[in-house]
Amino acid sequence: MRRRAAVIAAATLILTTARIAHAAPAVTTGSAQLNYKVLPTVKAQVVPNYLSGFGPTGGLGSGLTPAAGPSAVLNGGTVDFGNVVVGYQYLYKYAAQVKVQTNDSAGFVVYGEGATDLNGSAPVPSPATYPIFSTLYWLPSNASNSPFTPATSFNKTNGNPIGANGLNGIDYTPVGGTPSPISVVWTSPTSGNLVQGFDYELRLSGAMPASQFNVYIVYTVIGN
Amino acid sequence: MRYRNLAGLLALAVLAVLTFGSQADALTGLKTFKEVVISIVVTPSPAPVGWLAPKKQGLPDPFVRNVQIASAGAAWDVAPGAPVMIAQSSAQPTPVPVQFVAKPDPNAAFLRVIPHPPGAGFYTVPYGTTVLPCAFEIFTFYTNSYKLQDWGYNTTKTGGPNSGTFPIENYPTVSDLSWAVPDFGPIFTPYWNQGPGGETTWSGIKNQSQQHCIDLKIVVPNAQPAGSFTATIQYNLYVTLP
Repeated sequence: MRRRAAVIAAATLILTTARIAHAAPAVTTGSAQLNYKVLPTVKAQVVPNYLSGFGPTGGLGSGLTPAAGPSAVLNGGTVDFGNVVVGYQYLYKYAAQVKVQTNDSAGFVVYGEGATDLNGSAPVPSPATYPIFSTLYWLPSNASNSPFTPATSFNKTNGNPIGANGLNGIDYTPVGGTPSPISVVWTSPTSGNLVQGFDYELRLSGAMPASQFNVYIVYTVIGN
Repeated sequence: MRYRNLAGLLALAVLAVLTFGSQADALTGLKTFKEVVISIVVTPSPAPVGWLAPKKQGLPDPFVRNVQIASAGAAWDVAPGAPVMIAQSSAQPTPVPVQFVAKPDPNAAFLRVIPHPPGAGFYTVPYGTTVLPCAFEIFTFYTNSYKLQDWGYNTTKTGGPNSGTFPIENYPTVSDLSWAVPDFGPIFTPYWNQGPGGETTWSGIKNQSQQHCIDLKIVVPNAQPAGSFTATIQYNLYVTLP
């Protein structure tokens, strides 16, 4: 009896071993959690004189009709107010358009400020600069804007101008890497390809000397 | 004959009236004018009209139980306080060059505005009444007698109360912005908002130069939404023609 049971057990073992030897490899499935981050990117362009009809208006009472100077060209060049009269107010329509492309879902902030104060030349006044603050203003473009529409003054930067008078921008490294919060001109809570146009206002104090003045307005876009 | 005399008298009378009118027109002329722009920011919250006390707990809450807080396995991507800084993406496109040629004001010898803008470049005013001492000064001079007049720019006599904007509303609404010349007296006068013509700010005799401060008083009603506003006042210099 025991011998018979042993034979049956041995046969079962042989059959089982043979079946395992000829079976396909075992397939196992499962899931893995993959966490990753897409690094945010920000790109920006600024287009001066971005729309047909750009240029200065105003100077009410000055006796001089304003017209854009020769350095102003459509979709480029300089925001050139041309000849303006001290003591009067002007509006420059479609001065600059800021385009931002970002995948930052938290949005972004755009800063705009003067790389310097207004630099006088031809003739060089004394002192050679005049404050940009309370002289040059910005406001979002709107067909109904006038020289008296509420606007915000540009500020002179706390950073270091790069190149002659800030021709190549502003280095914010010495001031913590970002412009001053008072220089915010546009905030967006979302990502995407977004565009905002700006008009400029010039409010010339009676104390301003007669001269040609130049300044670079630097826009900086920082993702949130 | 009698009718002829009457006609002659009438013609004479008409001539006299016309002569007088043209002389009246010739008496004064608008020599020059200037706009003064005042920037105002109304701070966001009007004065509260009431105060709601927090609700007091009367009886113990019978449904008090432990609060469950959902939590992820890893609480922080970057532990707070760790010496790690994540750089923010930024871009700085090519700067925008701006230029203008400032020409001298040909009328500066007769009419000048000397602004005294606050440090921020605009006046921050709360709801209610705010006085802005010597917000700006005005200089006037002429070789004949003259008068300075002011009016709220863009206002009209016929526009109606809804055609104006804060703070110089439109007639018949009284302007929320008033002026006073402290050299002449403390009384504030709401800015004229019935269009050109305006009200006399001061007068001057032949060859008299004068420069005075203008105090402003602004009243922000509670119904006025907060925000940025400008008041534009036009000053006209009328002079006696030689």
